[in-house]
Formats: sequence, C-alpha cells, structure tokens
Amino acid sequence: MSKNQNKLGNCFLGSTYAFLYLPILILIALSFNNARYSTTWHGFSWQWYSLLFQDTDLWISALHSLVLGVTAGCISTLLGTLAAIALFRFKFQGKSLLQGLIFVLIVIPDIVLGIALLMLFSKIQVPLGFFSLLLAHITFCLPFVIVTIFGRMTHIDKNIFEAAKDLGASEFIIFFKVTIPMLLPAIIAGLLLSFTLSFDDVMISYFVSGPSFEILPLKIFAMAKLGIKPELNALCTIIFLITIVTTFSAQLFLRKNKHA
Amino acid sequence: MLKYFICLLFLFSTLVYADDNVLNLYTWSGDIPDSVIRAFEKETHIKVNYSTYDSNETLYAKLLAIKNPGYDIVQPSSYYLTRMRDQGMLLPIDKTKIPNLKYLTQTALHPSYDPERKYSVPCLWGVTGIFVNKAFYDPSTIHSWKDLWQKKYNNQVLLIDDVREVFSISLITLGLSPNTSQPTEIMQAYQHLLLLRPNIKLFATDAVASIVTDDDATIGMGWNGDIFKAHQGNSNIVFIYPQDGFVAWADDLAIPKGAKHLNNAYKFLNFIERPDINAKIIAEEGYPTGNLAARAYLPKAMQSSNILFPSDAVMKHAIWQGDISDKAISLYGHYWELLKLAA
Amino acid sequence: MKHNNYFKVFTLTSIWAWLSIFVLLSFCMTLIASLLTPNEQTIFSLPFTLSNYTQLFNLIYVKIFLKSLYLALLCTSICLLLGYPFAYFLTKTNEKYREFLLILLIIPFWTSSLIRTYAIIAIIKTKGVLNTLLISLGIIHHPLQLLFTNTAVIIGLVYNLLPFMILPLYANLEKHDQSLIEAAKDLGATKFTIFKRITLPLSMPGIISGAILVILPSMTLFYIPDLLGGAKSLLLGNLIEYQFLTAHNWSQGSATSMLLTLLMGLLLIVYWHSMKKTNTKEFS
Repeated sequence: MSKNQNKLGNCFLGSTYAFLYLPILILIALSFNNARYSTTWHGFSWQWYSLLFQDTDLWISALHSLVLGVTAGCISTLLGTLAAIALFRFKFQGKSLLQGLIFVLIVIPDIVLGIALLMLFSKIQVPLGFFSLLLAHITFCLPFVIVTIFGRMTHIDKNIFEAAKDLGASEFIIFFKVTIPMLLPAIIAGLLLSFTLSFDDVMISYFVSGPSFEILPLKIFAMAKLGIKPELNALCTIIFLITIVTTFSAQLFLRKNKHA
Repeated sequence: MLKYFICLLFLFSTLVYADDNVLNLYTWSGDIPDSVIRAFEKETHIKVNYSTYDSNETLYAKLLAIKNPGYDIVQPSSYYLTRMRDQGMLLPIDKTKIPNLKYLTQTALHPSYDPERKYSVPCLWGVTGIFVNKAFYDPSTIHSWKDLWQKKYNNQVLLIDDVREVFSISLITLGLSPNTSQPTEIMQAYQHLLLLRPNIKLFATDAVASIVTDDDATIGMGWNGDIFKAHQGNSNIVFIYPQDGFVAWADDLAIPKGAKHLNNAYKFLNFIERPDINAKIIAEEGYPTGNLAARAYLPKAMQSSNILFPSDAVMKHAIWQGDISDKAISLYGHYWELLKLAA
Repeated sequence: MKHNNYFKVFTLTSIWAWLSIFVLLSFCMTLIASLLTPNEQTIFSLPFTLSNYTQLFNLIYVKIFLKSLYLALLCTSICLLLGYPFAYFLTKTNEKYREFLLILLIIPFWTSSLIRTYAIIAIIKTKGVLNTLLISLGIIHHPLQLLFTNTAVIIGLVYNLLPFMILPLYANLEKHDQSLIEAAKDLGATKFTIFKRITLPLSMPGIISGAILVILPSMTLFYIPDLLGGAKSLLLGNLIEYQFLTAHNWSQGSATSMLLTLLMGLLLIVYWHSMKKTNTKEFS
C-alpha cells in the first residue's frame, strides 16, 4: 500500500466521519441556543440544561429505552446467532420456510409489523407495556443480526466443525469453543446494531407501547411535533458525551490490559 | 456479562411494576404542558403515566384493537369524539365531580357536537387561518383563502399536512361546506387545489413554529397556536382570519370505557379547569380554552392577543370541523394521493 | 451422538417457535386482514374479497411505486459509492484503531434519528449553517434553497442508512485472503485488474447484504421525505402510513404491504438468479 493511497484513504475516512458527526455538533450547539423555536443562533444560554434536570419523565424514559435496548439486543443476538448457525450448518425440513420467514421479516415495512404485532398481542392477550415492546423489538432486530452473522459465516470452512466433532467435541462445546470465537466480531456487530435499532425505533413501538412504559424515541417523536425542544438537544448532548467518554475509556482500558 | 444482565433484569422489574395510585393519561402531543402534570403529581401524590399521540386515528386504533389498554383519560378532537361516543367507547361524565366547570363560558359548555357535555370536558380549541411574514408580503393585501392562489406566491405556500384541513380551504373558497361528503363537491375541491399546486412549497404539521419563525416559509395556512408561538419568536409574523370562513376544532378530554382509575381521572379533570392551572395550558401551548377565569392569570400581552383570542365578531365566520363517513374519508384520501402526485 | 442432537433440537425449536409466533402468525393475520372487507365499526369484517388488491392495480399506485423505487435505488447507489471505499480504506487502517473506528461509526446512531434529521434541517435551511458559511465566504450571494427538495431527501436518507451499507461490506472485505492479492500482484496484475477480478467478486455478498439493508428502509422510511422534502410527494411508506392511520383502512394498508413484500421478494429472487450465474455464493 503506497503512502499516497494511505493519505487518500485517511482523507476519505475523515470526511465521511465529518459528514456523520456534523449534525451532532450542530445539535450540541443548538442545546445552548437561547431560543425555543428558532434554529438560528440567538446567543448562549444554559436554560435548557436546567430545565432538563427538572424533567424527570424524560430521564425515566431514557432509562427505559436503555434497559429495553440492552435486553432486546442481547436476546435477539443470542437468537439470531442460533438461527444463523442453524441455517448454515444443519439440514432440516422446512429450511426454506424458515428462510422465507426471515426474508418476510426483512422486507415487511415497520409500520405493518407494528400493526400486525398489535393485532397479535390483542389476540393472545399480551398487555401493552414493557413485555410487548420487548417481544416486538427482539423480533425486528432479529433479521439484522442473522444477516450480519450469516455474512461472516459464508467464509468459514465447514470442515472445521467436522474436525471438532471427530475430536470428540459435543455440539455445545463446539458452539462455545469454536463457533462463538470465530463469529465474535459479527456477534458484537449484531449486538451493537440491534441495540442501535431498538434505541431509535419509533414506528413499531408506536403501536405496541402502553401507558406504563414510556420510551425515549416515542417521547421525542411526540415532542418533535412542536419543533425540537432545545431540552431534547441538551439530553442528546449529554447522552452523546457519556457514550464518547465510555467508549474512549473502554478503549484505553482494553489497550492497557493488552500491554500488561 | 451474565451478572450485569441479571442485575439489569432486577432493575427494570422494579420499574415495570409501579404502584397503584396512578393516572394513565393519553393525549395529543403539545396540548397539556409538563408543568401542569408535575403540579398535579405534587399536589395529589398521584403518579401520572403520560403518553401522547399525534393523530386521532392512532388513539382510535389503539382503543379499538386492544379494547382500552389501560388509559384513564383520552383526548379526541371534536369530530372524533362524536364517532367514539356513537360507538360506545366512552363513559358518561359525572359533572358533579368537576366543580371547576363553573369557570367555563356557556359556549364552551354547550358545543354543537356534545350539547350537554355528557361525554367530554373542554380542554382547548383552535382555528386554522392564514399566516404572513410582514418582511416579505404586505398583510393588508390578504383577506381570504383565495389570495393564496395568486401567481406571485409561486413555490412559497405552506399547507398543513392534513387532508381535511387542506380540502377545507378549497371548499370554503368555492363556497362549499368543509364538512361535505358529496363526491362531486370533493372532486371540485380537488380540481381547484390543482391550481394551487405550483404555489405549494411544503406540507407540514411538525415543527411549524420553527419553520415559520426562521423564514423557511413566509406565507400559508396554520393553526393559531403554532403561529402564536412563531409570532413570539419573530414579530414579523401576522395571523389573518380569512373573511370567507375558517375551520375551528376542539380537543376535549374524555374517559374511555375500561378506565381503571376513575377517581384520579376526575381529580385531574377538575384540576385542569382550575383557573391558575388552565392559564398555564394557554400560555405554554398557545391555544385558547373556554375557561374565562383563567385569562386573568395571563400576562397582559397575551390577554389582548388576537391570535390567541379571536373576537366574537371574527368567530362568526368559524365553521366547526365535523365527522364525515368513512366512505367520504377514503374519497378525500384518493384525491389527496392524486394531489401529492401531481408534481 | 444423541448428546449432539440436543443442541440442534434446542436451536431449531427456539428459532422456529419465535419466528412462527411473531412472524408467521402476524404475517398470516396481515394476509387475512388484506382479504377482508374494510368496515367502520370493527376495522374489517367478513366477507373475504380481493378488491383491496384489484384497487392497487391503478396508475397512481404504479407511479408511487416507481417513484419510491427510483429514490431508493438512487439512495442505495450513493450509499454504495460512499460506503465501499469507506469500508475498503477501513480495512487498510492500523489494526489497533480499527475496532475503535467501527464504534465511532455507530455512535452517531445512538442519538435519535429524528433529532439528527432536525439538525440536518438546521444545516441546510435558508438561514442555516451551510448558507451562512457559503455567503460569508462569498461563494454564493443568494441562499441555496435546499430544504424541501429531493436533494434534501437524498441527503437525509444517505445520512441515516450509510452504516447499514458499511457494516456488512466491512465484515466482508475484512476477511479477504490477502495472499490471493499478493499472488495476483506477483503475476503482474494491475491494481484495477486485481480489484475487478478478485476484490469485487469476493465482496459481492457484502454488497448485496448492504443493498438489501439500505433499499428496503429507504422505500418505507416516511418521516425523512416528510420533514426534509416538505411531504410534497407520496412515497410507499407515506402511502401505507396514510392507509393505516388516516384512512384507517387497514385492509387496504395490509394489501399494499403484501404487494410490496411480494415485489421486493421478486426483485431479490431475480437478483440472486443473476448472481448464481456469475457463480458467487450468497446469503440464501
């Protein structure tokens, strides 16, 4: 790899990251803007932060979303990994039906899945609230996990599993000692992806949420009706800073551990 | 990893099972300010679970599909109120439990859609009119809806992203009723709207106040609450009540069948009709209410705002939005699709 | 041997159970709903009818579909043009930082997409950051009218969907066998030939996964065309949303979604067939 190409690559990466982060910088700036509706600059103000710290409902819904995202992310990653393994390794009856179902899940528009699940929950009497949201989120995250993990599997040599079997490993051992380590990057990617999707989903949650469990995206969706309240920008700024600090420190921590 | 996971599970099991002294409130976004809810919680120690929706249809769908998932108070618009009442989705209101109703005007207590207020408690109402940015156009040249059709407003006009609202301006211009279900009239309205098409810059219901404040749209139709907020941020914004008539609507509160916390619901209904609390709703949301005593609690500038409180003379031109049949709705929808595709 | 079966049984049961309850059952309910007669009181009722489908074979809906498809294809191609080099260069960075760079890619998406969409509006609006910057630099004299145009919609869609293209592409490019490329180099192949004959065919599965993940949401995400495009044209997502929520014609909405699902399916099947001819293995 020539130096020039390296430079070009770094430039390209840099400008794409800039594209992705520019709106974030703008929303951080707007969280200090001294205006309720205008999004042009009207002077510096802390007022939205002091308002935010009084607004317990917003914090509770953020916490709800975090809990929901982590739970849905973990369960859908687990289930998705199993599904990808089943599709990749096993021969069984109805395999194409299973693939068809996953395919349906991918192509079905969010709003339709939301309404279909609402109909389903009313038929099987799942109360609308945390559990209905959890079930729905796991379901719509599932195909993303499966696609991510399956994409990595296609390059794995199937003989590895045979070899492990010949050496006397049980399927559970193969799962934990062979499959998981080989797929780890894809599993982590699937986990991050499903958390991200769950943390940001409006359309499906809109239908399957109930009065007792308010989540952040819905709260934002409702509040945005009137134009984004700078208070929301303030909340997003804080969440953003927390993620940045956590990511950086985790990175530093991991690197130190590696050196030790 | 597993340990953390179990900890998390414990954490939200405490979150999911809240105590029983609660009120499940499901209203339009931007109709009841957080400060009112917080004041209610503080005074009564009732925990309010507050969620919002942004179309009557969503409310209707949720109540219909699940047979009330637990809401104690809902807020259908006037024309949905009649629909839900007729389908037996609402409980009758016991007015003796809401003594603060005495602060309301007679007009608010006897609306055409629920003359004796058997199923609803007034919350707020609004009108749809024309807004103009003085820095760009002379407001004195604009009097009625038909002025929006002028050629000079090419690619400038903001319309509310709502079928009924948009068709009503066309129907009014043609001298027809905005509550019509007549297929020929609806088609006429559509053809007239096609002529408006080149002038349309955007359709919007979200963040209208921001769009108008920052000059991203300088003329168009808007709800008085949105324009009131925009006017506060940009004094160039003027609100005009069209002389040929305009639509008015109300978002009232009601108790759906299956509500479990009736006592708390009545406490809340009475609470929001208390003048000092009602004034908070007006001041923060920018819409008028039928509560006369509340106006004394507003700043002077607001009391005299003609955007917020249209005079009786102006309100003579108001036409209340009414329910129409599902058949008519789908016809409106068909022409709405055509209108949006006619680029 | 018996012991080995437990794992298979466990895996298959769990995934089957989940998918049949939450996908098969709800899909069947949508299918049934699409065949019922719309009704004012109970949303839909018997008798069964095909009219919800026949109504869809109307010039309006064909127009809406083609328009949505055009926008989605445009968005997918831009995502690919941006995402491919991005994923490629990412694999060339120092391994020490790569994980970190990947996480950096996802972090913006932990901020609500709605809020970021409003931030994009703040950038491109008439009195926005971009116009202010360009005018103060003297590049333009009149503000650009970007907001409420198709360009704004494309910017918004690409912004929101780019990672869905990059992640599968990166996952694929990362495990390409470098020795193949070395061998080709030794045999005197130019960079272009290497890319065309080795890298590109090998990365086809990644491209397809990415394209699937981008094209579908870009057809049905409705709030981005609404907010950035000024809701001036109707896309499939808007249509379905409209049929369900405003017209509360759930049967018609279900029928539209069924047809969309079917068309998407056909599109992918055609694609896979052409892929199989070029002899590439693929997510099946």
